[in-house]
Amino acid sequence: MHQKPDIIEILRRTNSGEYCAVKEWDVKRIPRAVRALLKKYGLEKVLNPAEPVNLDMELADTFFKAGFELALEMGMLCEPTERIVKISEDELRSALKHAPSQLELGFGKDKRVMKSRTPSDPYPMMFGASLGITISEDVWPYYIEGIVRQQEVDLLEGGSMVSVFGLDVMPGTPSETLLGYVQGRRHRELRKQGGREGMPGIGNISAVTEFGQFCYGTKGGFYNTDLSLILFPSELKVNNQTLHKVVHTLAMDGLVFAGSPAMIGGMPGPAEGAVLSCIACALLQYAVLQASVGGGEIYDIRYLANVNREGLWALSATHQALSRNTHILTHGIANEVSGPGTEAFLYEILVGVAVIAASGASFSTGPRAAGGKLQDYITPLECRFCAEVGHAASGMDLAKVNELAKHFLPKYEAKIKDPDIGKPIQEVWDLRNFKPTPEYHAIYQRVKQEAIDFGVPMDPF
Amino acid sequence: MSADYLELLKAAILEGEEDDAGQAARDALEAGIAPIILINEGIQKPLEKIGRDFENGECFLPELILVGDAAGAATAVIMPKLSAGEQADGLHGTAVIGVVSGDLHDIGKNIVSAFLAAQGLKVIDLGCDVSPKRFVDTVVEQEATFVVISTLLTTSRPFYRQIVDTLKARGQREKTFVLVGGGPVTPAWAREVGADAYGRDAKDAVACCRELLTSGVKAPLAEPLVINALHTKV
Repeated sequence: MHQKPDIIEILRRTNSGEYCAVKEWDVKRIPRAVRALLKKYGLEKVLNPAEPVNLDMELADTFFKAGFELALEMGMLCEPTERIVKISEDELRSALKHAPSQLELGFGKDKRVMKSRTPSDPYPMMFGASLGITISEDVWPYYIEGIVRQQEVDLLEGGSMVSVFGLDVMPGTPSETLLGYVQGRRHRELRKQGGREGMPGIGNISAVTEFGQFCYGTKGGFYNTDLSLILFPSELKVNNQTLHKVVHTLAMDGLVFAGSPAMIGGMPGPAEGAVLSCIACALLQYAVLQASVGGGEIYDIRYLANVNREGLWALSATHQALSRNTHILTHGIANEVSGPGTEAFLYEILVGVAVIAASGASFSTGPRAAGGKLQDYITPLECRFCAEVGHAASGMDLAKVNELAKHFLPKYEAKIKDPDIGKPIQEVWDLRNFKPTPEYHAIYQRVKQEAIDFGVPMDPF
Repeated sequence: MSADYLELLKAAILEGEEDDAGQAARDALEAGIAPIILINEGIQKPLEKIGRDFENGECFLPELILVGDAAGAATAVIMPKLSAGEQADGLHGTAVIGVVSGDLHDIGKNIVSAFLAAQGLKVIDLGCDVSPKRFVDTVVEQEATFVVISTLLTTSRPFYRQIVDTLKARGQREKTFVLVGGGPVTPAWAREVGADAYGRDAKDAVACCRELLTSGVKAPLAEPLVINALHTKV
């Protein structure tokens, strides 16, 4: 019998569950529960920074057990009502059992099939580009079409237009609603213009609030066969923005693509705690948010990055745990800090995306050029490189990926705190001709060749 | 003997025990320890330690927040006892802090809030998703010395400009320093919206407040004070 709670029941629980103040949840309940489970399962201080990829599958399975227990113990806190949405074991198992293990996305010749994977699974991890880096309004269409033209990129996602018809976009105001409709319509047009009309998409990366999400599944906007991106607050929390988006997506017969980062150094404490929180969070998305695709994102709060040793290890353990013990379609993000036109950025992509792909994630999006902080600091070339790495590294042996991480980390890790932000798109990418400058292309070729020489089975140029 | 009271205060703060820290501060005052010593030795020292530990990955956000709360409780007991003209290393005045509209990421803001409170500022924390109107209304009501604006979303940055513009329109700009920070916020953005100071993290926010209070400058500054910027030109 299917016992997964439906959205009506979830909404009911957001008003009837146990009361818990947000601060109590954040600084007491989460840390205590995580600490207790790390101790119970012998998972304290198991991270060895000298080995940035977890190679112990028994350990990954233990993390899964502890994460599952955390999900049942905690549930998710609804921030505005301060009520806990608890999920029973039967409900959680039912939600996971009925979660899709495969999704056909897009249509026609451009269709892609996202599948449940396991570590070192040769079936390629799907890659969607890019994250919501803000882009000038006049540059945005050229940037988006540039991504569409990268055949390696499976799904179209971002970036975010900073203004619409010259009007600053402000979340929660009518300008965000307007942006959503414009972006949804233009995504359709630009996919067609770039020769990939049926390319699957993700909408709407610019929807900070529910207003920007009205464009999903509605006439002329994002297709309801695109993924509906629904982010929620960490750790293990939901709010009305999240639930509005879920209700809207379900009403459109769409596909919920949920996500929230667990923070190393945040409420769950060390990297091991973040792994537990991330697993619990990923599992609960299927019961609480009715996800078709769920997140497994982890960032290090000190840098808002995860291409450092702790971040890589946590990503690897999380995705190994989820992919070995469920058939859910999990999603991971490599959070880079360097910017376009730099070797460091490409090294960060190489290591971060390879770790996620080989650890069994079904899907990844990125990149987060220059930490995602700077307007116009991203190009389609990095989007392509991400997808190339993601596809090629999917079937790689974890031990080999660990060696790859150890080989390339020294090329950038000392600069993670003060990274080279590189150059804006206008200086390293020919917007009208959809190609990088010769200088940047040479850097890309050099790094790609290094990856190939190391054993990443990418197609040569 | 006084060393014992100081150690008790430090321990209560480092354990993040708000009630114990307040009581330890009261006990220390009753025992005759100078308020300035309690502030500089009993509160600042544990705060410095916890800040270092956080950067080194040896303690985590919950501890940081609880320690900040405990330090704030002790500070609230001690500050009224400082005699006029007595210079503690702590700060004075009111800071209104929040995350701008549309953004629910409050981790960075919480750290800054805790650090500012622990330094002796009266902190009015408006939480997340705060409208420009609410920021400015609170600044006016509280006659705030500082308004501290945060976001993690590039898409929420335009609200910074609205807050500064509304402060100007309501005749409050000359009375309140505007501090900006957050993941996508840069010195260039601080300059563009007409802020008085930019900081990268909680320690920077404290340093900015201290510099603005002690250097004799008046709001609005022609050029923002920039502390510890990663990128100074963008």
